[in-house]
Amino acid sequence: MVTRFWAETAVALFTLAYGLVIVRGATEFGIGWDSSGPEPGAFPFYTGLLVALASLGTLVVTWSKRVSGRDTLSAIILDREGLHRVIAFFLPILGFVLLCATLGMYVATIVYLLFAMRVQGGFGWLASLATAFGSALAFYILLERIFLIQLMKGPLEALLGL
Amino acid sequence: MDNFSSLMHGFSVALTFHHVALMMAGVLLGILVGVLPGLGAPNGVSLLLPLTFSMDPVSAIILLTSLYWGALFGGSTTSILFNIPGEPSSVATTFDGHPMAKQGRATEALSFAFLSAGIGALAGVLLITALSGWVAKFALRFSSPEFFAVYFITFASFIGLGGSSAFKSIVAMGVGFTLASIGMDSVSGNIRLTYDFDVLLGGVSFLIAVIGLFGIGELLLTMEDGLKFNGIAAKVQVRDVLLTAAKLPRYWFALLRSSVIGIWMGITPGGPTAASFMSYAMAKRSSRNPEKFGKGEPEGVISPETADHAAGSAAMLPMLALGIPGSATAAVMMGGLMIWGLNPGPMLFTERPDFVWGLIASMYLGNVVAVVVVLATVPLFASILRIPFSIIGPLIVVICFIGAYTVAGKPFDIYLALAFGLVGYAFKKLDYPIAPMILAMVIGDKAEDAFRQSMIFSQGSLSIFWSNPLVTSLMAIGLLLLLLHPIQLVWRNARRLTAAGAARG
Repeated sequence: MVTRFWAETAVALFTLAYGLVIVRGATEFGIGWDSSGPEPGAFPFYTGLLVALASLGTLVVTWSKRVSGRDTLSAIILDREGLHRVIAFFLPILGFVLLCATLGMYVATIVYLLFAMRVQGGFGWLASLATAFGSALAFYILLERIFLIQLMKGPLEALLGL
Repeated sequence: MDNFSSLMHGFSVALTFHHVALMMAGVLLGILVGVLPGLGAPNGVSLLLPLTFSMDPVSAIILLTSLYWGALFGGSTTSILFNIPGEPSSVATTFDGHPMAKQGRATEALSFAFLSAGIGALAGVLLITALSGWVAKFALRFSSPEFFAVYFITFASFIGLGGSSAFKSIVAMGVGFTLASIGMDSVSGNIRLTYDFDVLLGGVSFLIAVIGLFGIGELLLTMEDGLKFNGIAAKVQVRDVLLTAAKLPRYWFALLRSSVIGIWMGITPGGPTAASFMSYAMAKRSSRNPEKFGKGEPEGVISPETADHAAGSAAMLPMLALGIPGSATAAVMMGGLMIWGLNPGPMLFTERPDFVWGLIASMYLGNVVAVVVVLATVPLFASILRIPFSIIGPLIVVICFIGAYTVAGKPFDIYLALAFGLVGYAFKKLDYPIAPMILAMVIGDKAEDAFRQSMIFSQGSLSIFWSNPLVTSLMAIGLLLLLLHPIQLVWRNARRLTAAGAARG
């Protein structure tokens, strides 16, 4: 599925782009010297540049290994089965995060745990419901009652007057 | 004797019912965090940190360090019983610990692991007691250039001593530094690098990074492998523990050697993981029967465990005395100290002696408490791992995101944690080191301030970094570490050339 070569290349390109974005952003604040010392952009400018240069270094190493035909890079580091498992785990997490922002964290917790246990884990309704509601309740008591920390809430909590 | 009386005062701070109860709670939470995959010591400390904002700093640090000890112990439990390291630093324990458990010697392996870990930790704390005051006094002579030089040494040693490619270490570190500079610039008061996104005004918290990188990233990795627990049941009997303890003195040399390795790796930012591997390799190399290693040799459990814990506790020395954390977990704790309004570094010893010595005393007590608690609760925590991962995994996900939100109450942080999770997954997959990134995020501002102040002193000339013997030698050590790989290469080639020349001549 995914070989080490392409994974290395993709991540190095990503960090290269990140480094350049920082360098670009830093130039807005001045990278030279003013009356009080180095300007605010100087330090981020050079660290960003370092990131970009080191990413280039990784790219050069990766591609020169490819050109010289060394085997290690064509090894598959993520096979089809592994990819499926990662995606099956990641997508519900993404859904959970989006639900947190819209319906609040308690509702999101219950929906997410129900889905993961009932649909993905194949547990019975009773066990799934008990775990989902039990966890939400435990978080509520621990955070809101004991530590007095408010979590994100949605329309449902407002309706219940919590 | 100055240190001794300070330590006694520290014990009077730490030995209260409230604090001992906190230690037990911390250790229990720590074992839980250490046992569960995807939650590790750095992550556990990050998740708990927001809950300590309302505590007084002494209680808070006792809770967090106890969690750290507990996590180290929990990691070894799963290594031995399940062949799954709960922490990266307990990977080396699986080599001989799990074979021992399979041979029906699980209790012996666990007791050896916990007792030698306790001894290793004790060695680390003794060192801290003896040296921290002295190091702090020495560091009082430091001004900005010297501090920058010490930061330079820290990051140079990641590049020179780390296992990953130097380019990848630099990328990880640079990303950490740049993330730290987002938001308010502490010198000029300007808002930097927010690219007109309001959510970036407050900067990017290192706690969110830790939760994403270590938590979500680790879980994705665990999921990909399709984790299965095949554990070995263990019941710990007091008699067996005592019998094992009686055998321990036989391994005094392994204990001593591993403590020294651990302490060294803890003070330099090699960290516990590197220490445990190095200690295992040394034990195997110097053993009279190396073929027994990997098949259930007690010394193969004792060596990595002692070094792991010695490094874990010794990592607190540079954090307290210099303000430079020796491991990712120490970095998170140091970030915590700064949030509580304490300034880690030499001044802390004069400004807040009760805090420093209370902490050091609590390290002695905490480790004793940890050994007892962990031995007593092995069956409990082993049974937690029998819960299917399809329940545990999603629960850990929920805990991570709720934890991320409690850091600052910003909805944006949960998206950020998710993004860091993906980055962490990719970085781990490709052997980018994560610890330097966290370290850079925590001390980024201090390193930048030190650099800028040095530049102001010298009117922009880099020559300030070799303007006096102290800063020159520090910079020289840093450069040596930075160029370790190339130097070794040249040295080896030179030797080969002279050998070839001698053969020809």
